[in-house]
This record gives sequence, structure tokens and C-alpha cells, in this order.
Amino acid sequence: MSAIEEAVAELARLPGIGRKTAARLTYFLLKQPRAVIERLAKALLNLAEQVKACSVCGNWSDTDPCLICADTRRDRSMLCVVEDAADIAAIEKTGEYRGLYHVLGGHLSPLDGVGPEQLRLDSLVARVANGSVVREVILATDPSMEGEVTATYVRGLLERYGVRISRIALGLPVGGDLEYADSVTIARALAARREMTG
Amino acid sequence: MGLVSTPAIVLHAIKYGETSKIVKLATRDYGIQSAIAKGAGRPKSRFGAQLEILSEGTAHLYLKPSRELQTLAGFEVLRLRPGLAGEVRRYAAAQVLTELVLRCAPAEPHAWLFEFLSRQLDRLAEVTSVKLDEAALSAVWQLVRILGFAPQLDYCARDGRSLGAGAARFSISDGGLVCSACAAGRRTALLSRDDREALQHLVAGSYDSPVNLSARHAAAHRRLLARFVRFHLAEGREFKALDFWERLPWRDT
Ligand SMILES: [Zn+2]
Ligand SMILES: [Zn+2]
Repeated sequence: MSAIEEAVAELARLPGIGRKTAARLTYFLLKQPRAVIERLAKALLNLAEQVKACSVCGNWSDTDPCLICADTRRDRSMLCVVEDAADIAAIEKTGEYRGLYHVLGGHLSPLDGVGPEQLRLDSLVARVANGSVVREVILATDPSMEGEVTATYVRGLLERYGVRISRIALGLPVGGDLEYADSVTIARALAARREMTG
Repeated sequence: MGLVSTPAIVLHAIKYGETSKIVKLATRDYGIQSAIAKGAGRPKSRFGAQLEILSEGTAHLYLKPSRELQTLAGFEVLRLRPGLAGEVRRYAAAQVLTELVLRCAPAEPHAWLFEFLSRQLDRLAEVTSVKLDEAALSAVWQLVRILGFAPQLDYCARDGRSLGAGAARFSISDGGLVCSACAAGRRTALLSRDDREALQHLVAGSYDSPVNLSARHAAAHRRLLARFVRFHLAEGREFKALDFWERLPWRDT
């Protein structure tokens, strides 16, 4: 494989990039000064070398714990459970939430081989279990069938610990992916969250 | 073939790129089809929430029989079935049906298979918690039967001898009940008279059956059915939804 083919193949693996776009990007990069390509390569390497999942919440971060977990001004009695780290960014943008987060790393999808063992559930239980300062867990998994059933599962896991468990008020009709919902919608869904009962 | 419209159930959906989804549909008129829904990942797309798995509606497809991936032009949802997410057991059973249809259903369209799936998903979404285990077992056993793998429950699966009433031995590898002579030295599961009767009702799918399984019995029936499917339908493939369903605790924890 030539260097050009290799670059095209690697770029084409990115979401939303087909082979045509990958080829266009490759030829664009070829025309750039070497320093531009070096900066891009270094930025990508830094991603791999410096960014790690926060050992507490699972958020991507340069530091461990992440800046949110380390921030003493945040409300430690509230824990917001999300599917992906990208959802944290979407909720942070609203500026309406001052608690901590927990990233599950996906949703239940047995058909795709994603069961409870594949999600960060043990560490979630540990954060909520006896002696914890957490008083409310907000389940902010995606407003999709998989997100809803994941919320149902997590509620079942946590209900014995006597915390308030609530679900953000985004019904299925909103559809799809929390990450892509706008700030106003997310802020409203947080404010109107409802207690989840069995 | 051009643009066609057909009743369809969304069996599987994955994000493709930033804004599209690839869905697998069980359609009534064109069998199982994979299709790309361009723009379905955008929050305000014309597909909205309509491409949720296990939902049902009318799919508008650009069909080219020579292609593996069709184009979904639109989907009008009729049933979202949010009830399936209300208990993990409901969703897990629905995923087992989905898995069996995706792996084992014939490629050519069968309207009755579509109607069966639609009816069973409705039932799994709506049945009371108490009757849920039975509904799930019955749905999966019936699908196994429809796919051509009905267990032999009327006479010995090995030598065709008639079986006495009461408790009996079930041999997974022989595909059904076996007489005591055949059971000797073979791996079998002993079914009590009640369990044998329950199994008959579950496979036949009699709705007002007198079956009343305790949670522990339901779990045993799940294990038997899962082993049966793995032996007769899996052909070495993994059935991950089936594994998940089989391992569910007796009660939601
Ligand atoms: Zn953190
Ligand atoms: Zn025999």
C-alpha cells in the first residue's frame, strides 16, 4: 500500500468520512507545509498519550481525576449517569447542572454483545453504595429504546441503596441521541426530571 | 423495483457516520432488508425517533434487489412499544426474537412471520409482569417451531414409541422427549408432569393456557430452550441476546 493509499484508508475509518472525502483530505494535506502535517500528527499522538478516562467518572481528561471530579465547588450529592463522555459536554454546555457525572460507556444491547458486564456499572454501584454522599442519581441515558432500558436496568441496580433515582424528561419522541440535543432541550429535560419508581 | 412501501419492524439500528443510520428491517412484503437512512442521526431529521429498534410502521424503500444495502426514503411509525423498556426481561425477550429472525429467518418474504413477530412484540410490551415469563418463553418456542425446529413432544424423538403420561425425559440432542429405554445412558432433563404440560402449551402458544410458572421454573425453562436453540439453530454461531436472556436473574434485581 502506498503512503497515499494508507492515509486515505485511515481517514476513511473516521465517522462521517467516506473514501471520496478521505481522498480529498489526503490531497489537501499533501499541499500543506510540512509543519501543518506535523502539528496534526502531534495533536493526534497527544490524544493517545495524554487523554485517559477519568478513573472516577469515566470522562475523557488530561488529568486524573478529571477537572469536574476534582472541582470542590461541585455538588457531590448529585450524580448524573450518561452513556458517553460526549454527553457530558452536551450537559455542561447548558450551565444548569452542578453535580458530578458517571459515564457508562454505552447502553445495553445484548444483540450486539453489550451486556451489564460491558458497562461501567460496578464502579457506579460503588459510588452510590452505603456510606456514599450521593443523594440523587439522574439517569441521563439517551432517549432511545436502548437508553430507556439501560435506565431501567440501572434503577434496578441502585434502588436498594435508598438514593433518589430520577430520569431526565426526554421522551422517545425527541429521538435518538442526547449528544445532539440542543442546550435548551437538555436544560428543560433536566429541570423536569421525574423520579423513577419500579 | 423503485420506491416501495411496506409494513416493517426495526430489528437493529446503528449509527453510520455523523448523521446516518443503518437499519435492519423485518418487512412484511420484502423479507429482511438492510437499509441506510440518510440524516436519521440528526435531532430534527424527518425520521425523528421513528427508527427506534422494535418499533413498527410503514417503510418507504428504494429497492434494488441486486443490492445488499437499500435506501430508506421514509418511515412512518405506528407503534413505538415503549413498554418493552419498562422491564429488562421484556426487552431481553424481544431481543431474542430479533436475534432468531435475523439469524435464522428465510430470506424470502413471509407475511405470517412478520405478523407473528408484530403480535409477539405487542404482547411482550403489554403483558402483565406475572405472565411475562410465560409470554416470553411461549413467543420464543413458537418462533422456533415456525422456523421448522419444533421439539418432538408427542412420542419418543428417537424411536417413535409412544410415551406414558406424567413425567418424561427431554433430550436436547434428539430434539424432544424420549422414552425411558432411549433415555438410558443419554443426557436428558427430567420434566415433571406439570413442566411437560407447560412445555406443550408454550410451544403451541395457547394464549389462555393454565401455565403458571414460578420464577424458578421459568428460569429452568429458559435454560432448556436456550440449550435447544444453541444445539439445533446456532450452527456454531454465537447467540448473544439468547445468552443474556438465559442468564437473567429470576427476578429483576
Ligand atoms: Zn471524572
Ligand atoms: Zn425411545
